[in-house]
Amino acid sequence: MHPLWIPNRTVADLLPVIVRRLVATTVLIAVSAPAARAQAPQQRFHETHPAMGTVFTIDLYANNQASAEQAMNLGFDEIDRIEDLLSNYRPSSELMRISREAANSPVTTDPETFQFLERSLYWSRQSDGAFDITVGPLLRAWGFFFHQGRVPSDTELAALREKIGWRHVLLNAETRTVAFTPAQPMDLDPGSIGKGFAVDRVAALLREQGVTSALISAGGSTLYAIGAPPGSAGWPVNVPDPRHLDSREAGAIASTILLKDSSLSTGGCTEKFFMKDGHRYCHIFDPRTMRPVEGMLQTTVIDPSATDSDALSTVVFVLSPEASKRLLTSRPDSKALIFSQRSSGRDCFAINWPGTPCDPLSSHSQKESYP
Amino acid sequence: MIDRRDFVRGLSVAAVAASGLFPRESAEAQATSKAESNAARQIAPTTDSSPLRLGIIGPGSRGQELVRSFLRVPGVKIVAAADVYPPRFDQLNHVCGYQVTAHNDFRTLLDRKDLDAVIVATPLGLHAQHVLPALASGHHVYGEKTLAYTLDEARQIVAATAQNGRIFQVGHQYRYSPWIRAALARVQHGEIGDVTHIHGYWNRNNDWRRPAPNPSLERLINWRLYHEWSLGLIAELGSHHMDIANWTFGSTPTTALASGSIVRWHDGRETDDNVQVVLSYPGGRRFIFTSMTNNAKMGDQLWLYGNKGSLNLTLEDATFFYEPRQITRPNLNAKGEESGTTTGASYRPSGEMPYRGPGKPVEIATAEDPTTAATRAFVYCVRTGTEPIANVHVGLGSALGVIQGNQARKEKREVEVPSAG
Repeated sequence: MHPLWIPNRTVADLLPVIVRRLVATTVLIAVSAPAARAQAPQQRFHETHPAMGTVFTIDLYANNQASAEQAMNLGFDEIDRIEDLLSNYRPSSELMRISREAANSPVTTDPETFQFLERSLYWSRQSDGAFDITVGPLLRAWGFFFHQGRVPSDTELAALREKIGWRHVLLNAETRTVAFTPAQPMDLDPGSIGKGFAVDRVAALLREQGVTSALISAGGSTLYAIGAPPGSAGWPVNVPDPRHLDSREAGAIASTILLKDSSLSTGGCTEKFFMKDGHRYCHIFDPRTMRPVEGMLQTTVIDPSATDSDALSTVVFVLSPEASKRLLTSRPDSKALIFSQRSSGRDCFAINWPGTPCDPLSSHSQKESYP
Repeated sequence: MIDRRDFVRGLSVAAVAASGLFPRESAEAQATSKAESNAARQIAPTTDSSPLRLGIIGPGSRGQELVRSFLRVPGVKIVAAADVYPPRFDQLNHVCGYQVTAHNDFRTLLDRKDLDAVIVATPLGLHAQHVLPALASGHHVYGEKTLAYTLDEARQIVAATAQNGRIFQVGHQYRYSPWIRAALARVQHGEIGDVTHIHGYWNRNNDWRRPAPNPSLERLINWRLYHEWSLGLIAELGSHHMDIANWTFGSTPTTALASGSIVRWHDGRETDDNVQVVLSYPGGRRFIFTSMTNNAKMGDQLWLYGNKGSLNLTLEDATFFYEPRQITRPNLNAKGEESGTTTGASYRPSGEMPYRGPGKPVEIATAEDPTTAATRAFVYCVRTGTEPIANVHVGLGSALGVIQGNQARKEKREVEVPSAG
């Protein structure tokens, strides 16, 4: 009766797994380097922290365990703080206060939450509504909120039409207020941008602490690299080629990125979805049709900001590859790799992306440095 | 689920009882409808956006968190800040999104005539040094807990608040937590019988340190670890729980026992990394606080134990558990005769096992962050001249437990806790 939930698989999983393999051995690269004489070699430390419905990890280089722990504790505290701010599962969060009250009268919020909302609406405008944090009611109607996937009726969806739409959210920067119009409570869902927002905050905090080499990961779906591991050009991140999951080429890598002072986010239906009558329903919605996106496998976006790469990985998931291309033409710092599930024609699109990731055979041994 | 009328009624009953003005029974009788609506009105959302200018002494990590909450209140602007550690000014500007005038000396901040109120979020040992001049210079004050480092200082703050006719609100934000208020209102109505014991746990698994940019800043950044300004875990964590114990029991404690040690973090700190405190309340009632920093299983939670049930309070929710029925009158048949008794073993082995089933959560419609509610309530009080829920007497109440609890720990004996009067 209940549709089957497939536990987290592949895309988001593969990234941290690959990264973790590197962690297993403590790296003391600088030992034989001349620079080692001036300063003791930094060691690599790894720690995980469950938050925001996923598991965050921080890998960083530090002089000793004590300073690594202090930096990581600050980082994880910061993630918890952002979760308190933006959670749509905790009634005490600032985002849920706004969801509840902005229908009654404009709600004054703190600058940080306001900035989060501004950026969310920015991406809604840029994507002409393909990105939209007001989709909360859809995730409930389709059963994603409580992990009980179901297909709502057309009537049910029609009734939700008025409860969804970024244009109903009015921001006033002068008074830092949020108002909903028409006046009805909304269900703001930070799912497609909040983790990136948290990762950016942690990156800023670690930099303030003097950390010069770290990789912050939100469940593998959003990564940010501070600097690079000693002696290397960047943090290696493998982007899998999802077209070959069921074949002998399963595990093929489309592109290996050496990430440095930049972020990478991946959206995919391989992570959260439910199956019903042999059909796969994805947790990423097209807010305009109010239905899960069909025909898309995986999108990966590189951008200097993790907030933006997180949002953009959803934007390009929802938009057609052609529309994504038009959008990113004006953003040379944003790079996208899109895998769609088309029965004929192209199924891979690289926008500003280095190398030839759409041809996995040739890219197997290929490493692309970014930036 | 509690209805709105009960909820509002419970609020004021609890608030009046906690003020220590009346014994619990008569407080219930004397709770007027005006007092009821006052308490609810302090917490209610507001659309009043008249300008309100705040200064802050000590915009460190907690101070910045308070500022974030204050900026959620319409009309509030942070216009001045004082700190001895210059990096705080930039951090504060970042939180506010605008430039706040920086003062290297808190006295020049207090000399300003354009502030409607002052926030004091400095280390505990400095509270009185900052709060007393703030009140004396005519400012309303939002002062972080614990009220003061010594009993004498705490009493001076109480007196100065009255003498200057100022509003003082203490940072016991759990008084503003919707789920704790709703749950305690039900406790006041007898839902778990007579509460005789409260157990407060606040356990963590970290060294309670913040990175100091260089060793010379260690005592400034990690002031919580040194006696000069800190009363340790009893104050920084225990004071919140002691406040809830005072609120529940409608009284301040009469004696204190305490112990502590450094068991895990042998890093040069002076304050204990684990403490145990027992506060006695009238009628033999007890509050037991325990805190450790090398195991976080219990987290931050309180258990209120009554003869009819238990209440669990956390940072996010409140849950009731009910004791099995105890002695009842036998059911007689229509003729007034007892039915026959079947012999058997009366002892149930499972009866001594801890209850591991679910509880009954307290449902509330508007759960919000307690600090957000507390800061909004303070602004309401400043604008309207209303006495805060967490007033200076609430602050004195928990300070009594903290300061005497620490004294007992130092002297390794039970010490008297003087009355709040």
